[in-house]
Amino acid sequence: MGGSGSRLSKELLAEYQVRGTRVPGELARGPALRSGVPGREAERPRPPGGPLNPSRFALQDLTFLTKQEIILAHRRFCELLPQEHRSMEESLQIRVSLEQILSLPELKANPFKERICKVFSTSPARDSLSFEDFLDLLSVFSDTATPDIKSHYAFRIFDFDDDGTLNREDLSQLVNCLTGQGEDTRLSASEMKQLIDNILEESDIDRDGTINLSEFQHVISRSPDFASSFKIVL
Amino acid sequence: MEEGPTWEPEAWGSSGAWPAPRGARTGPSLSSVLNELPSAATLRYRGPGVLPWGASREEEEDGETNVQAVAEAAQKELEQPVPSRELPWPMQARRAHRQSRARDEVAQGSDSTKAHWALRLRRSKEQLRERLHTVQPWAWTLKRIGGQFGAGTESYFSLLRFLLLLNVLASVLKACMTLLPTWLEGAPPGPPGPDTSSPCGFYNPGPQGLVTFPTHLFSLLSGEGFLEWSPLFYGFYPPYRHLAVAYLCSVFVIGLLHLVLILNRSVSGLKQTLLAESGALTSYSHRVFSAWDFGLRGDVHVRLRQRIILYELQVELEEAAVRRQAAVRTLGQQAKVWSVRLLLNLLVMALLGAAFYGVYWATGATVELQEMPLVQEMPLVKLGVDFLPSIFISGVNFLLPPVFKLIAPLEGYTRSRQIVFILLRTVFLRLASLLVLLFSLWNQITCGGNAEAEECKACGYNYKELPCWETRLGQEMYKLLLFDLLAGLAVMLLIQFPRKLLCGLCPGALGRTVGTQEFQVPDEVLGLIYAQTVVWVGSFFCPLLPMLNTVKFLLLFYLKKFTLFFTCSPASRTFRASTVNFFFPLVLLLGLTISAVPVLYSIFLIPPSKLCGPFRGQPSIWAKIPESISRLPRITQNFLFFLGTQAFAVPLLLISSLLMVYTLVLANSYGRLISELKRQIETEAQNKVFLAQRAVALSSANGAL
Repeated sequence: MGGSGSRLSKELLAEYQVRGTRVPGELARGPALRSGVPGREAERPRPPGGPLNPSRFALQDLTFLTKQEIILAHRRFCELLPQEHRSMEESLQIRVSLEQILSLPELKANPFKERICKVFSTSPARDSLSFEDFLDLLSVFSDTATPDIKSHYAFRIFDFDDDGTLNREDLSQLVNCLTGQGEDTRLSASEMKQLIDNILEESDIDRDGTINLSEFQHVISRSPDFASSFKIVL
Repeated sequence: MEEGPTWEPEAWGSSGAWPAPRGARTGPSLSSVLNELPSAATLRYRGPGVLPWGASREEEEDGETNVQAVAEAAQKELEQPVPSRELPWPMQARRAHRQSRARDEVAQGSDSTKAHWALRLRRSKEQLRERLHTVQPWAWTLKRIGGQFGAGTESYFSLLRFLLLLNVLASVLKACMTLLPTWLEGAPPGPPGPDTSSPCGFYNPGPQGLVTFPTHLFSLLSGEGFLEWSPLFYGFYPPYRHLAVAYLCSVFVIGLLHLVLILNRSVSGLKQTLLAESGALTSYSHRVFSAWDFGLRGDVHVRLRQRIILYELQVELEEAAVRRQAAVRTLGQQAKVWSVRLLLNLLVMALLGAAFYGVYWATGATVELQEMPLVQEMPLVKLGVDFLPSIFISGVNFLLPPVFKLIAPLEGYTRSRQIVFILLRTVFLRLASLLVLLFSLWNQITCGGNAEAEECKACGYNYKELPCWETRLGQEMYKLLLFDLLAGLAVMLLIQFPRKLLCGLCPGALGRTVGTQEFQVPDEVLGLIYAQTVVWVGSFFCPLLPMLNTVKFLLLFYLKKFTLFFTCSPASRTFRASTVNFFFPLVLLLGLTISAVPVLYSIFLIPPSKLCGPFRGQPSIWAKIPESISRLPRITQNFLFFLGTQAFAVPLLLISSLLMVYTLVLANSYGRLISELKRQIETEAQNKVFLAQRAVALSSANGAL
């Protein structure tokens, strides 16, 4: 994790130095920090303008985000960190707990917020997000992400018990999230049963009682509204 | 072990009756057997070095082998070269994948210049796309609107932006093809004096004597007075030969360009809608799976959205029940429902008829009223009379749609059907009232189509009342455009803002309900399309109309944005982005078609004014084109005339019908292939589950022994 973290910082900073643009707050400390570590100077990446080096991957190659979006994401991520951890190196390695991520206004009110964080977390306990995880999240929810990858993650988010298929419990939990959890806002049991029966009737092509990923993607591919609604913008 | 699931062949009877025995950890449960299938394993694979989906923490210790198996199963997936960022893996795994791919490339000798250039090309393409994305105006604003108010509202603004683009293009073309040639051939001549006499009467648009400031203002609003003989209107343009051809061509070029752009825009919407073939079949799944707008933020909006979804689902379920009931309705009930519908439709027709008659009357009355001395004396009344048709059209469009909304639920249709009816009636009202206005003007210009009538005999048009009828048409459209903008402003300033402010002052439930205003996407979009149709009709007679419309739409964009953020809450149900993307371009096309009719009619059939405009002296406006073709070299002439003959048209028709048949056959065969494959999937899944059940049954039997 450490190795990838330092490469990431170099990428971010290299972009900055070559661009020569205004360097906002935390990122300005980057070059000073790097010059403090003399060993690193040697393997400094060549600027993007030069000949392409196949061992260097811009974050844009790995995500669907533009440079500006990545930088904005980094700034927002740093705001979640305590003051003393906001340096470049640290911000790329530290993990932010679920509660802090959920306090972001973009996620705060979302009924699927816990699921989203769980799906994108790579920590063993699935309870915290690193900057890379955060970028993953934004990449999938960005405008330019392919419908395939969007529907894949939507499936993961809706698969509440993480068992790889959407069964009746998953569906009812999903519907409850959509309509609100309160007693008065829920569908009645009979309505719920009717609804889930209808959904399975439509989507469960192989009639095994659950919706698997390919069935889900098949349905979603025919839903014109999905790509426009599966978006989060910072 | 006896608790383990047994083979239940009867479980196949109904969907969803399948008991999914999760959590039965004691033996090889059916779900665990199914989970170990290679296909399932592939789906659960999350890339190298990451636990697959569904591997819980307790399993981690013995998960090593599991991961191995899963990785092997997923190898197949990796054989196709997928760009790293399109893999549904965490960043770490994607980076590893990217590295290994790069290494492979190096091993395969990617140092060759070819691969190098391919990489370069791809990068620069991506950069270009990124640049283009940033060039798009208001991309950020649109995103923010989408985030806060949902995709439906966002699509209104993107439509507005699209229309703005159309208008900017049209303005540029108009400037290049009409304004430039006018001044290239020397300063245009002034207005004809009162003493010029001809068999077609006289035309004297110039203002007489000293003009007061209010008169100036009223002229500005009605397009008369000093504006009448200005580049704004058709009459001003001098009869230069090149100008006339360019003037006529600009209309066709703009029309074609707009047609292509609109088609291009609606194609994507059309594709999606066709993909969702038989929408009734998957409506529940769509309602649930793509219901949530993940961009929504703010507790209030989220709660509102949840309520909307709940309501929508309940209505949908109820509707299904109603539909089932309707299927078993008795003959008497059926008759009752239909008679109610018939009565209501008659009512609607009566309302529409009254509205159209009002518009027709207003247009006719304008001319008569203007002659009255009382009106002549008071400029304010004169202005009111000038705007009478616009006032009637706007008033009708303001009053009738709510009435339609009231009528719709009484008809006993399902809710989704009701929306369609309301929309169709509103569109009809909007566009038809414009047509009625045009018809009424046509009636005046051509003396009701009677070329032998006394007023029209000499010149082919009513030269006494309308010495320059093209300018008059342009003025009508100019007034419509202006009045539309003013009415929009008035509604915003006098109704929406006070309502918001007053209701903000009085707390409680009443204040909240009255103060909550929704951004009505369909109404607003129809307003836009109506405005654009007016511009299409008018741009031949008033060449600068696209420019004015550009300014208007620009203003509208900011005003609507401001109202949206200041007064509105998210739009409610029914208007999904897909509807807007598909249905509204269709209406836009309808508007373009409708506007083409009067423009083409006046170009081909009505004789142009003898005293004004670039086409004076021609038998019809179109006659200019054959005339200028006859000045071209012989070969070009022959070619152009050949394009108009049957020898060219018939083969073209044949070829296009052949292509169409081919496409239809292709589509048909694809459809058959799809249903074939679907059946295959079903049998395969049945086989799979059957075998898994046998395996479970056998192993549990072994365990029992």
